[in-house]
Parts: sequence; C-alpha cells; structure tokens
Amino acid sequence: MPKQKILVVDDDANLVQALRLRLLANNYDIAVACDGYAAVATAQKERPDLIILDLGLPAGDGFVVLDRLRHRANLAGVPVIILSARDPESSEERALLAGATAYFQKPADNDELLQVIRVSLPPTEAQQAMA
Amino acid sequence: MTPTQLQPHTQTSQKQILLVEDNPGDADLVCLRLVEGRSDVKVYTVNRLADALASMSNHEPALVLLDLNLPDSHGAETFRKVLKHAPNVPIVVLSGQEDEALAINAVHHGVQDYLVKGAFSGKQLERSIRYAMERQALLSALELTRQEQIEFKNRLLSHVSHELRTPLTCVHQYISLVADGISGPTTTEQRDHLKVAMKGVSQLQAMIRDLLEASRAESGKLRVEPRCIDIGELVEQAVAMMKPAALVKGVGLGAGIDAGIPLVFADPDRVLEVLINLIDNAIKFTPADGAILVNARMVETDPDMVYVAVSDTGCGISADVRPLIFDRLYQEPGRESDSGSRMGLGLGLFISQELIRLHNGRIWVASEPGLGSVFTFTLPTFSLARQLSPVITHKEQLRPAFVLVRVGVSLQANTPHARRRELVQQCRETLRRCVYLDKDLVLPPMGPSAAGEAYFVVASTDMEHSVILTNRIREQLVGIPGMSAKGALNVTAAPVDLLPADLTGSLTEQVEAVAGRVSSIILQGQGGKAIYARNGESRYVH
Repeated sequence: MPKQKILVVDDDANLVQALRLRLLANNYDIAVACDGYAAVATAQKERPDLIILDLGLPAGDGFVVLDRLRHRANLAGVPVIILSARDPESSEERALLAGATAYFQKPADNDELLQVIRVSLPPTEAQQAMA
Repeated sequence: MTPTQLQPHTQTSQKQILLVEDNPGDADLVCLRLVEGRSDVKVYTVNRLADALASMSNHEPALVLLDLNLPDSHGAETFRKVLKHAPNVPIVVLSGQEDEALAINAVHHGVQDYLVKGAFSGKQLERSIRYAMERQALLSALELTRQEQIEFKNRLLSHVSHELRTPLTCVHQYISLVADGISGPTTTEQRDHLKVAMKGVSQLQAMIRDLLEASRAESGKLRVEPRCIDIGELVEQAVAMMKPAALVKGVGLGAGIDAGIPLVFADPDRVLEVLINLIDNAIKFTPADGAILVNARMVETDPDMVYVAVSDTGCGISADVRPLIFDRLYQEPGRESDSGSRMGLGLGLFISQELIRLHNGRIWVASEPGLGSVFTFTLPTFSLARQLSPVITHKEQLRPAFVLVRVGVSLQANTPHARRRELVQQCRETLRRCVYLDKDLVLPPMGPSAAGEAYFVVASTDMEHSVILTNRIREQLVGIPGMSAKGALNVTAAPVDLLPADLTGSLTEQVEAVAGRVSSIILQGQGGKAIYARNGESRYVH
C-alpha cells in the first residue's frame, strides 16, 4: 500500500529534521522545502497529500505560498496545516480565511498535530475500499 | 445653524477660536477684550452646545472659549461633552462670579483654564489663550509619546516571544523524539529525566504566553466574549483539571457550589483561565496535607454578583504585601513556594485581575499569614427577567403578544475555531439587524459553545406576524457570505407563543414567570442544561 506523503515547509533545518523523523515513525512519506519558492515547486513535483507550512519563510512567506497553492488547480485541494511561531491572535484567522485547514502555534503538541494530520488527510484508496 | 463669523482681526496666520456663549452681551465683551489684548485670532460664535459640537466636527478650532450654562446644556455636563468630543482641543471656561467652584472643578477634569466674566482684561485673556494652547500641545505630545512607547513595547514583546518560540520548538521536538523512543530505546531513568526537561519547556511556553497576555492587558487589547454560563460547572471543570497537580503535592482540592446559584454572564474560557491560575497558585503555596476549596456562592447584600473564592491552608500573605500582589511582575521576596517550583513571571494575578475587570467584576485577597489565603472574585449574574422586562412590558402591563423564536445554526464539526467565532459574531450582528431593538430582544449566547449555536429572540409580536420575522431571519442568515458554503449546514427559525394564559400576581411576578417559561423552552432545546431564573428559588432543570 503506498504511503501518504506530507510536505514539510520550514526554514529551520533542525525542526524540519525532527518533524521528518516523527512523521516517518508514523508511517508517512516525507518531502521537505525550506523557503516559499521551493515550497510551491516541491509541491508541484512531489504532489503531497498534505502540507505542513511555516508562515515566516524566505522567498515568499506562508501567506504567499497559500495563495500560490490555491491558484494551481492541481494543488488547490491539498490540505495545509500552518505550524508557526506567530501569535494566533494576529495570524490564525487570516490563514484560515486564506484556505488553511488548521493552525498550530509552535511549539505544538505532537499528538494533537498528528491527530489533525490524520483527520485532514484525504482517505487512502484502501480506506475508501473499506468504506 | 452655521456659525456666524465675527470680524476677523488680522489677515495672516490666525488661530481660529470657537466662542460658545448664548448671551450676546457677554460674547461682544469677549470679542472686545480680544481686540484689546491684540490676540491674533479669528472668532466664531455659536450659542448652543449642539452647534458647538457640530462646528468642531467640521473644523477643529485652536481653542474653545466655553460658557457652561447654555440653552441646551448646563454646568459640568457642558465641559464633559466638549472634552469627550474633542479631547485634544484646549478649553478655557467662561464662568460667572457665582459658579467659580464649578470652573475650578472643570480645570480638574482637563479644562485648561477659566476666566470670570467681567473680571478679566484683554491682556489676561490673551495670556490665558496662549498658555492654554501651549499646555494642550505639550499634553498631546506627551500622550503621543506614551502611545508610541506602548506600541513599541508591544511590538518588542511580540517579536521577542516569536523569536523565543523558535528555539523552544526545537528543544521541544528533540526532547520528545528521544522521550517517545523515535531516536532509539531509552531507559526508565532517561525518560524520567526527559519528563523534567519537558516540564521546563512547558513552563517557558506558559511564560511566553503570559508576556503577550500582559502586554495585551496593558494596552487594553484583551478580549472577553461573555455568554450565559453555569459557574458551578466551570468550577467543577477547573477542579477536575487541577486534581492531578494537587494529588502530586498531597494537597486536598474540592469544590463547593451553593444550591440554586444563578447563571453568570462571562467568558467561560477566560474564567477557567482565572480559576486555574488561582488554584495553581494555591497548590504552590500550600504544604502537603493542606487543603484547597473552591466555592461559588451568592451574597445577600450584593444580589447582582456571584462570588467565587479559592481558599487554601497555605503560608498566607502578609498585610503589607497584599495590595501589591496584583501588580505586574510582582513576586514576593522570601515567599517561597516549595523547592524547585518556579515562581513564574509574576504576571498571572495581573492578567487575572484584568480579565475579571473586563467582566465588570472585582478580585481581591484576604489572608492570615501562616493560616492561608482566600482569593475571591465576582462575576455578574445573568437575569433573564431583567433582560425581558423592557421587551414584554409596556405601560406597567404585559404586552398583548410576544413570541420566542429559536434560531438554529449548525456548523460543520471541523469548522476551525477562529472561523466559528467569526460566524457566530456575524450571526448575532445579522440577528440584531433583523429585529426592532426597542421591541425585540436577541438573548445572549447560552451555555458553552458547541458545534451548533442556537440563538433566541424574544419578539413582541403575535404568532401570525412572527412568520415575517422568521422568514427575514432565515433569509438574512443564509445571506452571510461563506455561511452556506463553508460553515453552516442548516438554519432553522421557529416561533413559540409565549403569551401566558393564566398569569396572576404583580407585574414583576408575571415577568419572572415568563422568564421561567423562556428558560424552560431554551432548556429543552439544549438537552436539559440548567438555566436558572435570578432569584434562587426558581430553578429550571429538565
């Protein structure tokens, strides 16, 4: 059964590595990108099932990325979970209105994050067959 | 009326002065004195306060010369209104001999100066005007600097907290990678050590959050969203959440709720935050085998408030320190919590105080050093009868007909919190636009927020005509942008006839009875959640 793929976008390489290890341990495939430009390019190439996106990024911040994703027909439907150090008071509403699925402030609780990833991912073919 | 222009005295760089004076003789005298004092001003005269305020909205004058007794306003009310309307315009009050005390009072409240009519020379007038403008300019500059400093501090705090979160996230992630065994097998001892490290991370996180909250509190940006809530349930919830921490410390923790305690009008999340903060403090300063009790009760002398108290058998707080503990960053030197436990930033009580204040409540502490402390706060009760009274009564009688409209809006279960909050707010605003504010009442949200929100409108109309209202509500709600697409699945609006058939007793009793009927109907819609009428006796639980 093919694994579901998650694209992790963050400019903090250490954090990307930690998330990568945790998601791998939870049986997901991982792609990574470390700036806004690479985020869209990698999404285009890798076709992830879900994207974890930081807001403060070089070469196009998270909002720019969200906007670009939403304007590409083949990526517009991919759920995006924001994982940012920014205060939700100032950014959560804007991100959700821009099309994000959920907003987590760093540091996020791993179990909660994994739970939201699970419910946000589109059902796999195997799951669909079972249903 | 347009302000009449009196002769300008010179042509260039004139200051415009608004003279508010209804006595033509006095007005002429002021103008004469201005000429004598060689004031380089242009005077506009109006004789009513309303005209003065309108004129100031059109064009802000350099100064207002203000008589306090005008055809449409008298005494202190006059300067208060002008100050409120244009806080940055200097005012010089023109006072009669007999009301000099009032003029002095005006100066205490922010008026720059006063002159007693008929007793000032041209030179004095000119001087008073000049100094009033100077002082006002200084004050405005000072206020601007203060605002800039607050703004700078907020930006700094927001920046710092963001920058602190980034490395903290890294620490958090790598500790949990090891603790969860993802990096390889660990021993029990190693996992215990990591738990301690993780606790430190949580504390840092809480401190960063407190920093931001405190800066919001200071600049008046803290928000509360009050609803009608059961304070007893909230106390039970806080106690349940803090039980594990109390258990670890060996401290007893219990709740005591008065029977028949009324609903309060408060933001459940914020009140929970305050309760947890107070209980957390109590646990910290209470030795093992001590006890903490949280109770909610009514006080006879203050029927509009519910009193919530957190009492402990801890070390207590000395009298000289008690007034200081609600201050920002206050930490009592030598008031040791048990070994190893942090004192925090000293912002918890400051934030709690601000939150309670935003609910129009009070918070205070009573303490006996060595015996313990009692932190008490108050929250306003919610009285259905009091809210209903102006809607369902008219000329000391019940209105001939009124209905209760239940408006159900169900939101998709996974609607994000911020989006939900936005929709809920839009729904309420839309509902308010649908009703006549003097004849109808949109009740505030009831109970804890859930996936579906129910709104209740009491309207003074009969069943037949209520169809118009329910149709209007339905149409308007469905018309909210994004409502049908993103959030709401379903909007229902159904009227219930409230007209009581067999009401007796005084008008107050009748209103209470209708309030009781309304709450029982609301209850049924909520699956039996408790709603109480204000006087403790009528408790409606289904």
